[in-house]
Amino acid sequence: MTSTTTTLVQLKLSLLRGGLRQSTGRRAAYIASAVFTLLFAALQLLGLILLRGNAHADAVIVLLVAVLALGWAVMPLFFPGGDETLDPTRLVMLPLRPQPLVRALLAASLVGIGPLFTVCMLIGSVLAVAHGAAAYVVGVVAVALALLVCVALARAVAAANLRLLTSRKGRDLAVLSGLVIAVGAQLVNFGAQRLGSAGLGQLEPAADVLRWVPPASALGAVDAASEGSYGIAAAQLALTALALAALLAVWARHLNRLMTSPDGSTLQAMAETAVRGRSSTGMARLLPGGRTGTAMERSLRYVWRDPKTKAAWVTSLAIGLIVPVFNALQGTGSIYFACFAAGMLGIQMYNQFGQDTSAFWMVAMTISSTRDAYVELRARALALLVITLPYATLVTVLTTAMLGDWPRLPEVLGLSFALLGAMLATGAWTSARFPYSIPQEGYKNVAPGQVGLAWIAIFGGMVAAALLCAPVIILTILINTSADGDAWSWLLLPVGTAYGAALTYLGLRLAAPRTAQRLPEILTAVSKG
Amino acid sequence: MNEGARVGTAAVRIQGLWKRFGEQVAVAGIDLELPAGRFIGLVGPNGAGKTTTLSMVTGLLRPDQGTVEVVGHDVWRDPVEVKARIGVLPEGLRLFERLSGRELLAYTGRLRGLPGAEVDKRATQLLDVLDLAGAQHKLVVDYSTGMRKKIGLAAALLHNPEVLFLDEPFEGVDPVSAQTIRRVLERYTASGATVVFSSHVMELVESLCDWVAVMAAGRIRAHGPLAEVRGDAPTLQQAFLELVGAHDRDAASDLDWLGGGVR
Repeated sequence: MTSTTTTLVQLKLSLLRGGLRQSTGRRAAYIASAVFTLLFAALQLLGLILLRGNAHADAVIVLLVAVLALGWAVMPLFFPGGDETLDPTRLVMLPLRPQPLVRALLAASLVGIGPLFTVCMLIGSVLAVAHGAAAYVVGVVAVALALLVCVALARAVAAANLRLLTSRKGRDLAVLSGLVIAVGAQLVNFGAQRLGSAGLGQLEPAADVLRWVPPASALGAVDAASEGSYGIAAAQLALTALALAALLAVWARHLNRLMTSPDGSTLQAMAETAVRGRSSTGMARLLPGGRTGTAMERSLRYVWRDPKTKAAWVTSLAIGLIVPVFNALQGTGSIYFACFAAGMLGIQMYNQFGQDTSAFWMVAMTISSTRDAYVELRARALALLVITLPYATLVTVLTTAMLGDWPRLPEVLGLSFALLGAMLATGAWTSARFPYSIPQEGYKNVAPGQVGLAWIAIFGGMVAAALLCAPVIILTILINTSADGDAWSWLLLPVGTAYGAALTYLGLRLAAPRTAQRLPEILTAVSKG
Repeated sequence: MNEGARVGTAAVRIQGLWKRFGEQVAVAGIDLELPAGRFIGLVGPNGAGKTTTLSMVTGLLRPDQGTVEVVGHDVWRDPVEVKARIGVLPEGLRLFERLSGRELLAYTGRLRGLPGAEVDKRATQLLDVLDLAGAQHKLVVDYSTGMRKKIGLAAALLHNPEVLFLDEPFEGVDPVSAQTIRRVLERYTASGATVVFSSHVMELVESLCDWVAVMAAGRIRAHGPLAEVRGDAPTLQQAFLELVGAHDRDAASDLDWLGGGVR
């Protein structure tokens, strides 16, 4: 029993060492991240100690530990490759019983930077709220329990989702993780701003609930013990212990099933086919025939099915909504921020053929005239508009509603549509002129050696789009500054829309001959990496 | 495959074809005429320039110099006529992998301008013949190598091309899938169509083709009916090794320490 535990802990250490020996780059990255983590841990330890005595310290630490636990729960979903000992199926050929195995794996999980960081944070939290000997005694137990709950939580989530994590879908999910972090950072940033202006007292209601949710309940117990309510402290500790036991049981059950049933990746692939077969026909009926409908259908399918395309779209949709709406919420917003949605979504028109990867040859084989190229590009722009047009309208209306500035709705909509048209036009043109590869693995969005090309395409295109919009912007300013401008501002909606449509048409017309003539060059450019 | 019936008709006519990648010359002046209605093998070692040649012939790569005609039409000046008449299965390029096998065929067929009902009918038959019916709703990204080659072949055949270009169609394919692909290709050429495929596996070329072109270091070393190219050599493999000058390389004397016994 103990030998299993020692062996697995040693295995974890050797894996760590082996990984470090692999390359100096990896070693440097590991050491850098270790130093950074320890530095951060030391800083937050200091911060938490400084927090001692603050009236809301208990609320802060309870929330902190809850967020930490959430991080532990989400971590294995996004970084499945990060820890090889996370995959118990590698041990499936060894004669091991579930109970000792769970113990051994749990012990092995405690080795690493993550647990070290967690311990530092938990100790800091205890130091921030503990008053009196009893509280410190409870604190020691609380740190151990909370740490174990965090680790067991990560393990249970990983074991329950191992089928998903080792399959293609899991790898697709990992591509989306950067996005979750980006959007999450926006939300945290927004939350921190609110806290900065409104004070820590706002945390109390949330903390009152969370102090009964493990593993935050362990820290709740320390706080309760400090205030002398030993009954509550005991209950909260018991709750944490109970949660730990439950998690271990769930984990052991999944582990048992994983070790005794066949590898899930094939089963999973078989199961998802049934659903897909049915859902595919509905969309085709609504789309026009010929190349237009065919190319639109494929583009729209890729928005949903291709992880890279999906990540790009979700980022655009989220940021296009967050910027205008959150600014309006904070009262600092202008209604013109609503154009942000159109601008963000218009970016998706850029590097259309790069988004195809080297599969672009299938398109290239069917394009033999400028007309074909025009229809292909138009179909892609139309597919984009199917999502973008309603979304930009929705965001604009929402922003207007929050600011209550209804008279300006038509002009902002007109401006949005003009910008969208300009983005589509420049997007189509740069797609033909500056195509570049998007690597399908990992987080990179540009192949090595093509970074300059991507910058020219995106930033040059965006500047060009802004310049192309200048007439509508100037018209808006003129109407707004003139004496009886309000009576005429509605005109900007039809003018902006028509202008945007004309720009798109021109952009597609200009891009088509270049696309048709340069098919081999485009294919070479998008096939790198 | 009557020898006399097709004299004078060339499926592909290549003249003075060159391609350089930086310093390296990939294709160094090829002149070649491929007869129509044959099962043609383009053989050569890795790096001989087979893929580069096929890419230039099918219009996927622009040559530095030279002309290519497919069934009498210039590939670069008359793409409308050429692209409708050829089917291609390239090597090392992706498919639209996030479509299911059936969706991929529906997409390709419709892009080629075939009516939807006809595309669906042909797709069903191709999927059946190629043993892909069971996996037709699975995404291509989840397909094995053999399945990918087969769905690529189906996509290349869908519009019933006159000339079919296949780059290493049997590379990494299991014996069962390989046999399926062979059967389909043999049926296709029996109807008078032309297949041009590249491979470095001589036994395969010898058993499938009736006309071969041997390539090495960017040049054509020999071409003609299989029997002619093979000449007096017992196998195409032997003939090929003599052609590229690798036959007299004797490895045994250098590695005399290798083998069982004393370490």
